[in-house]
Amino acid sequence: MLKIENLQAKIEDKQILKGINLEVKPGEVHAIMGPNGSGKSTLASVLAGREDYEVNGGSITFQGEDLTDLSPEDRARAGIFLAFQYPIEIPGVSTTNFLKTALNQVRVARGLKPMDAVSFLKEMKEKMKLVEIDQALLSRSLNEGFSGGEKKRNEIFQMAMLEPKLSILDETDSGLDIDALKIVADGVNKLKSSENATIVITHYQRLLDYIVPDFVHVLYNGRIVKSGDKSLALELEAKGYDWIKEEVGELA
Amino acid sequence: MEATTTTLESQIIEQIKAESNFQKEGLAAFTALGIPEKKSEAYKFTPIKSILSKNFDWSTRGEFNAQVNFEDAFYPVENANHLVFLNGVYSHKDSKLQADDNSMTIKAVDLTHEVHAAFGSVADQKNDAFTAWNSANSTAALHIEVSKNKQGTPTFIYHFVDSENQETYAFPRIFVKSNTGSELSIYEKLVVKGDHKAFINSTIEANVDANASLKYTKTQNYPSNIFAVEGIFAKQDTSSRFYTNTFSFSGAVIRNNIVIAIDGENCEGHMNGIYLIDGKTHVDNNTAVDHKAPNTYSNELYKGILKGQSKGVFNGKIYVRPAAQKTNAFQANNNVLLSENATINTKPQLEIWADDVKCSHGCTVGQLDEDAIFYLRARGISKDDAISLVLNAFTKDTLNQVDEELIKENILELIEKGLKNG
Repeated sequence: MLKIENLQAKIEDKQILKGINLEVKPGEVHAIMGPNGSGKSTLASVLAGREDYEVNGGSITFQGEDLTDLSPEDRARAGIFLAFQYPIEIPGVSTTNFLKTALNQVRVARGLKPMDAVSFLKEMKEKMKLVEIDQALLSRSLNEGFSGGEKKRNEIFQMAMLEPKLSILDETDSGLDIDALKIVADGVNKLKSSENATIVITHYQRLLDYIVPDFVHVLYNGRIVKSGDKSLALELEAKGYDWIKEEVGELA
Repeated sequence: MEATTTTLESQIIEQIKAESNFQKEGLAAFTALGIPEKKSEAYKFTPIKSILSKNFDWSTRGEFNAQVNFEDAFYPVENANHLVFLNGVYSHKDSKLQADDNSMTIKAVDLTHEVHAAFGSVADQKNDAFTAWNSANSTAALHIEVSKNKQGTPTFIYHFVDSENQETYAFPRIFVKSNTGSELSIYEKLVVKGDHKAFINSTIEANVDANASLKYTKTQNYPSNIFAVEGIFAKQDTSSRFYTNTFSFSGAVIRNNIVIAIDGENCEGHMNGIYLIDGKTHVDNNTAVDHKAPNTYSNELYKGILKGQSKGVFNGKIYVRPAAQKTNAFQANNNVLLSENATINTKPQLEIWADDVKCSHGCTVGQLDEDAIFYLRARGISKDDAISLVLNAFTKDTLNQVDEELIKENILELIEKGLKNG
């Protein structure tokens, strides 16, 4: 589904990704872990098509198509979803309103008919249950004055509505208490199928107790330096990141 | 420098045929004041004198000769008054008034001969050259009076301007008397025929009595041959509400002067506006609200979106007099610059003499919020639609006081169009 080969990206003059290789197949959950500043969020942004970053090497192939020159909207329409670490507050735009526009543009791009107001509302009600989000919240200005938990639930709600093939959860656990974390993880798990895949980006192992990964990768200094199964996450939790740094240092 | 400036005013004065005392007083005040110089603080960013001298020759004032079916330009609103000005002169016979309307009286006042104490009673022509200039040239003025405790019929004012054969000057004069407990909404627009330059200098005075409500809405979607200085001057009595809505989209130069005097307790004064401009359009909103009585409230909200090489100017003055304790005065002017060549000069000015007041003001100038645009695009929304969503939302709260759905839709369309172009 997703094939990243020797991906390099920079912002202004700072090289952040220095050759990432990663393959994600349908049905898989990949966790990307790593210390702060290792390039985790950059990878998420680059996959979603953020134009502040310049891809200056390697390739991203999604379902056989080269993504590198696609706009963020075309990537979303192709089925990539980024759950933001810091969801943006947009005054005056309600979730309901913007999501209807988004969903219909995505549907049209996928060769489906736009949804009318009634079907949209029905669909929304259905998906709201997944993350226990309140309709009143969705009528308010997007993310404005939302609590951390509400913002993250809103991200997963949007994910449920847009039905992506590949979801990238960028530090979705940050700022969540354990109850909110469970709700969010539960939502993600319910959306999982053999057709879609998930990349979970996180600093801590905690989230991976609830969203269980098939593969764990450690990102350090712009490269994936270690890959393993879920036990790698537990090892990182127990030992921290220093041993990885040392190991990489020894190799270098 | 001095020689040319003298010439400009004398050129203008030469064309003025002041007959009545009203006109003569206007002429005298205009002669004494002159057109504001470049160094004038109030016109610092809109050098009106050089603009006017560069663009007009002030020879003869154009007649209105265009063959126009006025009704074609009317908003399709039944049960309304549609009032017509032709090159600044109110034409009662071309207007279409609601039949058997006991809510209000609408009449023409010939300021060339008639004496009418209302005109000049609110606007201060001794200190405002454009009001004085307007008075000197006023002929058939419009007088609107809403009856006590009546809900006035929605009133639309159309300024038809004919500049087909030569440059044109128009000096519309309007007085609105809102009697105690009355309510009225007025909507104004310009309809221009011809490509020669036209200068519009309008003066609107409003006397809002106790418990009355008056809303004045202007749509300034002018062609690029229009230069306008438009004044609204209001006086509010106890517990009255006065609103101005000013939506500016295009024109050569537009200067809006709004002055609200809050004379009675428990009044509300509101000034809302949008300027969404492109090309070389220059829009200057100069506003003042003067709190003279206790327990009064004013709220001002202007949103600017500037594209191309457009220029925006905002100046908001709030005065709180010693007697005006418990005043609440709020002001905000937020701007988004969409082009490197667009500029905005914004300045709040608060002068507070009372001690128990709540005042806040804020100006912001920024670019488009790229994070917001990326967020929306990452959900599958096209870039253009994302920008339009964010900026539509940005302007939305300035439309709250527009009651007429048709006008609101019209403004929303103009916003949509303004955001799409370029």
